[in-house]
Formats: sequence, structure tokens, C-alpha cells
Amino acid sequence: MATLDLNQINKSFGSAKVLHDIDLAIQDKEFVVFVGPSGCGKSTLLRIIAGLEEATSGQIIIGGEDVSRAHPVERGISMVFQSYALYPHLSVFENIAFPLRVQKLAADDLKERVERAAGILQLTDKLDLKPGQLSGGQRQRVAIGRSIVRNPKVFLFDEPLSNLDAALRGDMRVELSQLHRQLDATMVYVTHDQIEAMTMADRIVVLNGGRVEQFGAPMELYHHPATKFVASFIGQPNMNLVPATVEGVDANGVAVSMEGGAKLVLPVDGSNVSKGDRVEVGIRPENVKLDPNGNIDISVRVLERLGGASITYGEIGDNGTKFCASLGGDAKLVEGAQARLSISVDDCHVFGEDGNVLRRKNAPELVA
Amino acid sequence: MIELTNQQALAEGARRKTLPVGLFAWLLVAPAMIFILVIVAWPLAETIRLSFMEADLGGETYVGTQNYQDLLESRKFHQTITRTFYWMFISVALKLVLGLVGATLLNAAVPGRGLFRVLVMPPWVIPIAIGCIGWLWLYNGYFGVLSGMAQRLGITDGPFEFLAYKSSAFYSAVVTDVWVGVPMVTLFFLAAMQGVSRDLYEAAWVDGAGRWYRFRRITIPQIMPVIISMSLLSAIFTFNSFEIIWILTEGGPRGATTTLIVDTYKTAIGNYKFGEGSARAVIIVVLLGAFSLAYLAFLNRINRKFGTK
Repeated sequence: MATLDLNQINKSFGSAKVLHDIDLAIQDKEFVVFVGPSGCGKSTLLRIIAGLEEATSGQIIIGGEDVSRAHPVERGISMVFQSYALYPHLSVFENIAFPLRVQKLAADDLKERVERAAGILQLTDKLDLKPGQLSGGQRQRVAIGRSIVRNPKVFLFDEPLSNLDAALRGDMRVELSQLHRQLDATMVYVTHDQIEAMTMADRIVVLNGGRVEQFGAPMELYHHPATKFVASFIGQPNMNLVPATVEGVDANGVAVSMEGGAKLVLPVDGSNVSKGDRVEVGIRPENVKLDPNGNIDISVRVLERLGGASITYGEIGDNGTKFCASLGGDAKLVEGAQARLSISVDDCHVFGEDGNVLRRKNAPELVA
Repeated sequence: MIELTNQQALAEGARRKTLPVGLFAWLLVAPAMIFILVIVAWPLAETIRLSFMEADLGGETYVGTQNYQDLLESRKFHQTITRTFYWMFISVALKLVLGLVGATLLNAAVPGRGLFRVLVMPPWVIPIAIGCIGWLWLYNGYFGVLSGMAQRLGITDGPFEFLAYKSSAFYSAVVTDVWVGVPMVTLFFLAAMQGVSRDLYEAAWVDGAGRWYRFRRITIPQIMPVIISMSLLSAIFTFNSFEIIWILTEGGPRGATTTLIVDTYKTAIGNYKFGEGSARAVIIVVLLGAFSLAYLAFLNRINRKFGTK
């Protein structure tokens, strides 16, 4: 197993630059997820690591060895594709054995390794079937099987769960996390689904427009998003961003006057802002409570009763600023009415005009 | 208002007291059925009937299976059948191999690929008769470019008339037949190759499979159903390929290029022996029918084996 370092990776397709100076240091046995919206360059970055695309400039170092120009096999990586890329004319056994056949491995050794992989993935009784006879989840496992028989240094996954239905995706997430623990391998996983990122990753790379927005542990991204983009990408439902004006800055934090009239003193580092600056206050829907003595008035437009929670969509202030709150399942609310909400100043994020965060002072301690 | 539902149509029909639905359906398919009866079923039946007759311009007499017995006993006819199968085998094999090579080249990411794809078409698009007349000139001993080149390169001492000798005439006809047949095979193979998912090649490439390995273990199995169907189609076309041989050699010299279809034509139309010609035609139908059935059964097995069904 091995570390994976990317140094100053740039990639252009013609005149379109899709990756800008990507620097990442991924540790041995780490599960790292690249997440971002479509077109952010996450799949391209993975393909560059795999050797399917060549970087325009920059270095790829796997286990201390520069493999920027090396063939995928020499890099010691293996890849699981979004479409699974199984060979429909070959049996499950032959699909898993494919990389070993290429290496011309001796028959007994080959059989043993394929059976070991099949055992890990619970495919032992499916070895004689064709991919067409398997369910989506089983095909996914065959694709993973094909990647583990080679004992690669780094596993690469390109949106492997996006073709599965929601329930199966949940099961496969758990299986993949277990597999990671079992194989104790370095894994790089690409997805556009922030839930996959949050649940499986040791650390997450958030990409946007070909740049790394933030690289950190899931809870770090949740509590300390570096930019407005990360803040609104991580978390479900999305974070509310309420326009506000800075009223003053002191040792306690930044006093703001928010759209909708609330005046709050937020405990954040105010060294980069001064009175009169426009900022945005980030409030997570789940940090809001229904409270007659609260500090925000909302006109409720749509109510989604999920059972355990009521997702409340509405507007605050006179400019129709959209606001979403995740309230109790039995919260006494009606569509079209007004409600008063309260938020704790410790839960608020503040973003400057450049989109960068003002560091929170009272955020909860990070858990592993 | 064009798409009436079934009930609406029925209600409409009832109101206007028009045709019952069953009869209406028959009327709709009638033109196609009459067409097929007239141009396929009736000639086929007539051919089978004639094959039991001694028939010429003078009239018809019933001779039972005499025509067939004559054919089975004729050494010449056996030679014709052997020649026909040899012709079919060698021509189809060449078409498939060249088609596969051509499709692979056209599928490769080379500059100007679009132009090459268009350039493959002419042999298929040009009317066969015109193409063959071009080939007649190529094969001509005194004016033909092939003979000219052979002389300049010192391969032959003097003019070589390609269509004048048994063996060279046969293989010249094969070359022309292949020239006509290759574009279709190539384009079908190309279409099939483009249908193979890129991911399969990328996955194999990541696993270290080289070009030849990928071709052998991915491309060929993936396009196998098309290879099989194309070889069947191509075999039937080649077996029945008439114009090319007729324009180049009329089956000569001394019968060297007389395949079953040419023999049938010469007998029935050239020598006015309609009965004997019909017997030959019926034998072609039986041979090709059996051949197709065997092939389709084989195709089914292949499809199952390669997971397309």
C-alpha cells in the first residue's frame, strides 16, 4: 500500500483549462473522496491518477515513486468504472481473472486469487454466471473483484454507485467502507453525492471549477467550511445564506444586521471585515428551532413532513430571501402562516464578499 | 384526430355501418400479401413445377424426377457445386478478413478518418455493371494496367490476359467480387465496433492488456454476432453472385468460373432448357435454405455464448 501525492497538476483540453494547480497529499490507507458538481474536474483528476489521461503539467507520485509518465499497470493502481465495464461475454470468474490472465499468471495461483476475491465479495456461488445474469449490486462487486485481484497500491473508484437504486446504494456504501477496512488500502473515490462523501471518507476533497476548495475530514468540512461553496455543498438540506451588513467588529466577534431585521453578534474572527461590509450569514437548517421568543421571522411557503423532521421552506425579510429550516416532525406549522425561529449565534457561519469564511470561535469540537 | 383509439375506431365503424374490423385488417395487409404472392410465392411454385418438366420454347412434357437424376449423375454438375462452394468460401473469407482489418483501421483514431470512411463506399455505391467494366479494362492484357505493370516489373514476358486462363480468370473474378462485397462488410463491422463501450477498453488498458490482447478478447467477442450474421449474408450474396461473373467471363473460360447460379442461367435462359434450369434453381434454394438454417442455429448459440441474449 502507498501514499499518493499530486503536485501542481494542471489539465487543459484544447483551450479549456479543467484543472488548476492541484496539490494533494493522500496518506497510506486513507479513504479519500473527491466530491463536487458535474464538470468540476473530479473524474478527470481520477483519470489522470489512473493514467487514462495525461496531465498537461504536474507530477503524480505513488508510494514515493514518480509515475507521471508510467503505464497504469506500472503505477500499481486499479480502477472501478461507473458503468462497471464488465466483459459481457465472459463469466464472473473470467471477468475477475482478466487482469491476471493479462499477466499470464499460473493457473493454480490465478484460481486461488480469484476465489479469494470472490470470497471477500460473496460471489463464490456466482462465478459461473455471466454479468447479464447478475443484479446491479452483484455486478458492482464483480467490478471491485477485478480490481482487488491485482493487489494494487491504490484503488480508484469513479462514481461506482451512481447506477444503483437508492436502497442498494446505502447497502453498498456500508460494504465499501467495510471493504476498505478489510483490505487496508489507499482508496480514492469520486462522487457527486455529498452523502457518499460524508459517510465513507476519511478525508474529502471538494472540487469546484477545477480547483480544490477544501481538503479535510467530513466533520471539519461541516463545521469549518473554508468557503461559501463548501458550506452550501456539504450538508442536507443546503445551508441558508442570508445577506447581512457588518455593524461593528470587536473582541467578541462581528455584529451584523441581517436581512429580515435580526441583529446578532456572531463569535467569529473579524480581522478581515470592517463596519459597513456586506457579508453572508450561513445558517444550517438543522440548527434552527421553532421559538416564540426567537430572532427570525419566516413566512412558511412549503412544508415537507418527513416524519422525523419537517423541512420548512419560506422567506425572510422584505426581499424574499429564501430560508429553509429543519424542524421537529410534529412542529406546529401551517403553510402560508408566519413563524418565529431562533438560532444560536455559535452555530452561525459568516462569509466575506470573496466567499471565504470568517473563522468560527465557538464551533463544536471535532469528533473522529 | 389522426390517432383514434380502438374503441373510437370501432364506434366510428358501427355508426357508419362500414366493414367489420377483421375484414378491414385483411384489406390493410392485402397489398403486401398480393405483392409477395406475385413476386415470390408464384415464381417459386412455378419453378418447382417446371423442374419436373422437360420444357423448352416448344412446350412442356412431364418427366418426373428425370431432371434431378440427370443432375445427380452428371460429373460436370458435381464440379460446378464444388466450384461454387469453393468460390463462396474463398470470397467470403477474404471479405471478412479485409472487412475486419478495414473496420479496425477506420475505427482507429487517425486524422482524416471521416474521409477514409467515405472512400470505402464507392465499390458498393457504383452500379456493379459499371464497376465490372472497369475491372474488365484492368484485367485486359494489352491495355490493362495490371498486365502493364507486370510487364514493366518483369513479372511477365508479354501481355497477360487475366481472364483468358482457367485459374487466373477464377481468381480475378474472386478479386472483383471481394472488391464489390468488402465495403458493406467493413461498414457493418465498423458500426459494431463503435457500439463496444469505451469503458471496456479502458478497463482492459488499466489492467495492462495490449492492443492485440484487447482486439482478441474484447473486440472480436463483442462483435461476434455481427461477424456471424455478416458471414451468412455475405455467403448468400456470394453464392448467388451472378452479374460480376457474367460480365467478366460469362462463366468461362471452359466453365472455370461457372458457379451454380451461372450454370442455371446458361441452362435455362441461354439454352432454353427451362425444366433443367428450374431443377438447378430448386437445388440452389434447398442448399441455401439448409445452409441458412444451420447458420441461424449456430448464430443463436453464439449469441447465448457471448451474452447478447
